[in-house]
Amino acid sequence: MLRLTALLVALLATGSAAVASAADRDAGRRKSAPCAACHGPDGNATIPGTPSLAGQPAYFTHWQLLKYRDGRRQDAQMAPFAVNLTDEDMGDLAAFYAAQAPRKRASVVDAARVTAGEPLAKQHHCTSCHTPALTGQNQVPLLAGQDLAYLQKLLRGFRDGTASDLDGTMTMAAKPLTPEDVENLAHYLASLTPTPPPPR
Amino acid sequence: MRRNVAIVLTALLLGASALWLMPASAQQAPPPWKQGQPADLANSPLAPVPQPPAPKAPGEIPVDKIKLPAGFKASLWASGVNNARAMTWGDKGTLFVSSRVVGNVYAIVDKGNMREVKTIAKGLNQPNGVAFRNGTLYIAEIHRITKMEGIEDKLDSPPAMTVVYDTLPKDAPHGWKYLAFGPDGKLYFNIGAPCNICIPPDTHANISRVNPDGTGFEYWAFGVRNSVGFDWHPVTKELYFATHARDWMGEDVPSDRFDHAPTKGLHFGFPYCHQGDILDPEFGKGRSCGEFAAPLIKTGPHVAGNGVMFYTGAMFPPEYKNRAFLAQRGSWNRTQKTGYKVMMVTLRSGDVPKYETFAEGFLDGGGQPWGRPVYTTQMKDGSILLADDYAGAIYRITYQK
Repeated sequence: MLRLTALLVALLATGSAAVASAADRDAGRRKSAPCAACHGPDGNATIPGTPSLAGQPAYFTHWQLLKYRDGRRQDAQMAPFAVNLTDEDMGDLAAFYAAQAPRKRASVVDAARVTAGEPLAKQHHCTSCHTPALTGQNQVPLLAGQDLAYLQKLLRGFRDGTASDLDGTMTMAAKPLTPEDVENLAHYLASLTPTPPPPR
Repeated sequence: MRRNVAIVLTALLLGASALWLMPASAQQAPPPWKQGQPADLANSPLAPVPQPPAPKAPGEIPVDKIKLPAGFKASLWASGVNNARAMTWGDKGTLFVSSRVVGNVYAIVDKGNMREVKTIAKGLNQPNGVAFRNGTLYIAEIHRITKMEGIEDKLDSPPAMTVVYDTLPKDAPHGWKYLAFGPDGKLYFNIGAPCNICIPPDTHANISRVNPDGTGFEYWAFGVRNSVGFDWHPVTKELYFATHARDWMGEDVPSDRFDHAPTKGLHFGFPYCHQGDILDPEFGKGRSCGEFAAPLIKTGPHVAGNGVMFYTGAMFPPEYKNRAFLAQRGSWNRTQKTGYKVMMVTLRSGDVPKYETFAEGFLDGGGQPWGRPVYTTQMKDGSILLADDYAGAIYRITYQK
């Protein structure tokens, strides 16, 4: 019964998202035990360089796990965890993390870089897909308040064409960024306070 | 002074080579789906329908909602085929199925009452094209065409993919390819425009062909924004193809197209002229639609025609012979959704083709899609299979008097 209630809540919370509707958030919590050491028990990580997963849209987390499992996204730490996940596991984990409240990371940001980064987020159309509050949607991740070192690493990777891209959009978006832009954008994004995506 | 001129010239040249990516109005290129959006629509809520990362479970697929003409029936033939796209048959009865963003190629073995789905390649670069000949499976990704020899005997330990042809652009927008053998034994595929609307490089916006050994590359049709579905007429052996038209020009314009390319070298108008009779507001200046091949059918705005297949089977009524099925994946750049149907095209000599609905019902009560029809293929018994990349499923459509 509890499970049914959770499922109904998930259905209401995610609306049309068919994958999330089939996913089991409680099962996701249980399955997330091995992830907690790095990503935190509720998906709010504290280790610099490790991303927070709390509040990430379910499609986003699910797609990334799929890419780790299939070797499209490569990371020595993530690979052993992802290699044995089933589609159901990935759906459950994604649903669990999507339901957790995100907290701003304790990154030390540079005020001048934050100021310089803010207009870049509009000029480079980050807000077109990541939403104006940079909280993400569907397959597009929440960036607001994410770990600074992780944002820097990913943005540099996309700019250099070495980061795994779902459909090429981020590689295209990051190509025109200068190294200075990357730093400023990362500091700006890390400075924002994350809010959970609005209910759909 | 001379040095300044040289710098300016260099800047101009560098700028020109990047121009196709750059809209006139903005400093940085927006994401491909937003490119060409006019300023007054900057806050439009319209955006592409997100692709689910996992297929739907059989119980979540309302196959009984697929509406067909009298006597036809749809059933769920295979599920769990994540992002299922184009289909091709192996000599020994294996169905090979492509995908796009999920990066997989599948082999489906029909075991009578059930289908076994095997993933024979994964992590590929939008492998939308699959074609089979003489025991070999050909796979088209964005940047290359590869092959797997003798694959049907090695489904559980697939052979290495060897490169057939890889002198191809690497652009992601409209870079995914449909792949098929023409009646001449050559492999045909599309190289789409790397944008919503732009002057594409000479290497893009075409249908091309290459010999199966990778030699003899040439362009077949020009000015084709993105055709991810084509077939050859069973009698005339001439090429017919579907094209997706540009976005952000209006809810009802331009229409997508169904085209006829009987000879090599025709230009179908992109980016200058859309739907055969509307000049592009930016790139159409000084051009005339009369310069270009007109569409055989205006198939409707934003309908997103994908798979084209001429029917040659014996199961369907006789009037279905040599009709083309056109699977329309459906709109995103329109408030009221259009497409999400399989249409039929009946060619008539000396008259305009007949264009009518075959399958519909892929939108739920709220107007949201539960499935998106993308490609069809014919079974030996004359029934057809219809792939749905949104539900990750394949439906079988049969006919009984």
